[in-house]
Amino acid sequence: MPKPVDVEASITPPGSRIGKNLSANWLTRRTLVSASAATLALTIAVTPAGAGEDDDDTIELVKRLTGKTPAVSDRLRLSMPATFPNGYTVPLGIEVESPMTESDHVRYVRIVAPRNPLIEVATFHFVPERSLPHVSTRIRLAEPQFILALAELSNGALLMTKTWVDVATNGCA
Amino acid sequence: MVPVTPRVQVPSSVTRGEVFQVKALVGHKMETGLRRDNEGHVIPRDIINKFVCRFNGIAVFSADLHEAVSANPYLEFYLRATESGRLEFVWYEDGGGVYSLAHQLVVD
Repeated sequence: MPKPVDVEASITPPGSRIGKNLSANWLTRRTLVSASAATLALTIAVTPAGAGEDDDDTIELVKRLTGKTPAVSDRLRLSMPATFPNGYTVPLGIEVESPMTESDHVRYVRIVAPRNPLIEVATFHFVPERSLPHVSTRIRLAEPQFILALAELSNGALLMTKTWVDVATNGCA
Repeated sequence: MVPVTPRVQVPSSVTRGEVFQVKALVGHKMETGLRRDNEGHVIPRDIINKFVCRFNGIAVFSADLHEAVSANPYLEFYLRATESGRLEFVWYEDGGGVYSLAHQLVVD
């Protein structure tokens, strides 16, 4: 769902095409419809379809999956291309800032693709002093969507980040 | 049937405590169980569902893989070692198949 369009703010006065003599009542149905359509198209281009999956929905999904309330954090980085020509082998990289000591480490990082037919992608488990929370792999995406990364720390906190990925073909069929 | 072919890239020696990169790839179709054959029958799921890397018998990194991991699953990860030892890489397939590779890591 695209974000609601603020009609008043987004309509550009017709300017040169219609001229200033219409300025008093330029807000006709035609201008309204065409301007809305243009703005709608623009909105879709700028905020990709599905961007309406707002943070509340995302947090609700994460709560259902993990039983925890995630905290959006930039300590957890999810690197993926913003657009990718096929959905079969989309590169994915994750990295978490962590000392990886016994008392302060990342237990796991879990990847979820909420718009895939099966939303679980992978979970990576780390061991303090032994491995770093830094992994790259390649994944399948059925359609353009937000990919979620969740990192559980040794103190039980759950970090979350998400990134929009646009794929041109369905990688799950 | 294409043979399942695991491959790993690890440095042969590292210095004590140094972080080193591991690249692990296994040739596998990762059949999702979502596709149908020409007659409309569902092609059963057949994926590598787990990967474990052990050092001297203790798991140091592992991954649960689901249908959304690409065919020929590739993992790049980072380890640290403080003593020489045996690195073992194991891939677990649906239906019980297990594929593994081992590598002797020298820590200076």
